[in-house]
Amino acid sequence: MSTINDSVIIEVKELEKHFKEVKAVDGVSLKIKRGELFSILGPNGAGKTTLVRMLTTILTPTSGDAIIKGNSILSGKKEIVKLIGVCPQEITIYEVLRAEENVEFVASMHGIPRKEAKEKAKELLKEFGIAGRKDWSKHFSGGMQRRLNLVMALVFDPDILFLDEPTAGLDPQARRLVWDFIRDLKNKDITIILMTHDMIEADSLSDRVAIIDHGKIIAQGTPTELKEKYGSDNVLEISFLEQEDLEVVKTNIQNIPFVVNSSEIHRKERQTLLISFKGGLKNLVKLLQQGLIDNIDEVENMKFRQNSLEDVFLNLTGRRMRD
Amino acid sequence: MNFLENNAIQISIKNIKDKLRHWQYMVFTLGFAVMFTLMFYFFLGRDIFQYSFPGMVIYTTAAGTTSAAISFAVDKTSGMLERLDTMPTGRKNLFLGALLSETFMISLQILIMFILGYGVLQIEYKGIFELFIGFFIAVLFGISSVGIGIIISGLAKTPEIANAIALFYYMPILFLSGSLWPFESSIVFFTPPYWAKQIYLQITVLGDGLLDPLYSSSLFGPTGTAEPIPIPIWGGLLIICAFTLAFIVIGIILFQKKTKF
Repeated sequence: MSTINDSVIIEVKELEKHFKEVKAVDGVSLKIKRGELFSILGPNGAGKTTLVRMLTTILTPTSGDAIIKGNSILSGKKEIVKLIGVCPQEITIYEVLRAEENVEFVASMHGIPRKEAKEKAKELLKEFGIAGRKDWSKHFSGGMQRRLNLVMALVFDPDILFLDEPTAGLDPQARRLVWDFIRDLKNKDITIILMTHDMIEADSLSDRVAIIDHGKIIAQGTPTELKEKYGSDNVLEISFLEQEDLEVVKTNIQNIPFVVNSSEIHRKERQTLLISFKGGLKNLVKLLQQGLIDNIDEVENMKFRQNSLEDVFLNLTGRRMRD
Repeated sequence: MNFLENNAIQISIKNIKDKLRHWQYMVFTLGFAVMFTLMFYFFLGRDIFQYSFPGMVIYTTAAGTTSAAISFAVDKTSGMLERLDTMPTGRKNLFLGALLSETFMISLQILIMFILGYGVLQIEYKGIFELFIGFFIAVLFGISSVGIGIIISGLAKTPEIANAIALFYYMPILFLSGSLWPFESSIVFFTPPYWAKQIYLQITVLGDGLLDPLYSSSLFGPTGTAEPIPIPIWGGLLIICAFTLAFIVIGIILFQKKTKF
């Protein structure tokens, strides 16, 4: 069982990082509890990696501070690096070293005696399905390299683990495997900070999520809280070829009381209307009856789904995460 | 914690494994020195070539520039440097580990050149002690080359550019120093390889001592035109030490400046 308690292990206070005129991180404040899996969700370029680079003491903030287990990132780097494991977005392994050599090297940097490091490396590599590979890491598949990247961050049993896009570029099967590993880690009393732009990943793994956009935290809470607060129960997506048809539906649904909001997505050939609404199937039927009364024949495509963090992001920013 | 578990030693062991497993690179760098050695040996004949061989040894150690430049540039661009920065290692150990591994590799390359020159080609030398001093001078010069390599890696955006800058630096400098071929010009005194080659040559070939004067980088031997300069061998040694220290310090400062944000 995950053992989240109320003691705050990371407190971020008004953290800012400017690169010339660009505010990559703009006044971020957060409190992360011990044992929690906390996701920082945002599109590419939102400031996630800059934030994690400051928290892991690689980057010096322009202003603000973060306290990690009682140590300031401004003055306590020596102590912080003993507590944190970092799995960077890029696969950073030594390609001509074998898997166990890579892991043992990181262990040695953390002062773990050789014998203990060997045993720990063997155990972790077995757990992550890389045991027995005697060839150089450059010959591994992308999925294996990414798992090795993760094992290297875990070998010294860190108190806090930073995972920056750990499933980027993985196929669905390998992605699920990494998710299972992350779920297992939650049971080991490790505080995990997950940087991701994958809504499903954040939704399914996180205890709490902070949504970041243009360097600012625009919302935070549990996935359920966020969906309740900034979304609705369900979403209906209706696509047309013509913008006029979409406008008709928009007018038709204007005064329906259970419709929370609607937003448009314009792709090359399709105009899609996303209608967030409260209630279940009954309301869906009403919505279809009233909304599509005039132009049901013009509908190109239609999807009904439960509200997701994508909808939360859309409602908060007016655009989709991947746009 | 025992000596082998020290971070700098571990980094150094990792670097050596990395370099030995990229054996093509080692063959490539050593290959040129071996090729020049054989070429000059057969072209000049053994009697004259003994004055050229010190330049070949110095040429070999100058390859430390490329090796260090590529190695640091790879760490910088691959994200490995940032990863190491999130570990309780410290840049001090990173630089120390790199210096140790580069010194090991340079020593290995000099040994191979010694086997080729003094073993296979039977080039004459004054004595084992003189050869040992020569080895030390070559290694010291090699370390100064590593310093230049670190400077280059700080400036280069990619390992490929680092490699190109290193080649662009050390090939002309070896010619300008008179290490590969005698060069009668005062330019030689501004090039680090001249001092290393000249001291090495005078100690191992002529059997000179620390108080003997250094000569210009011209031809030695019966038809030679080399003139003494007003700096003794010990002064030249101090100049190599100063170059080495300066390059290492400048390299570390520049690399730190370019990679700390």
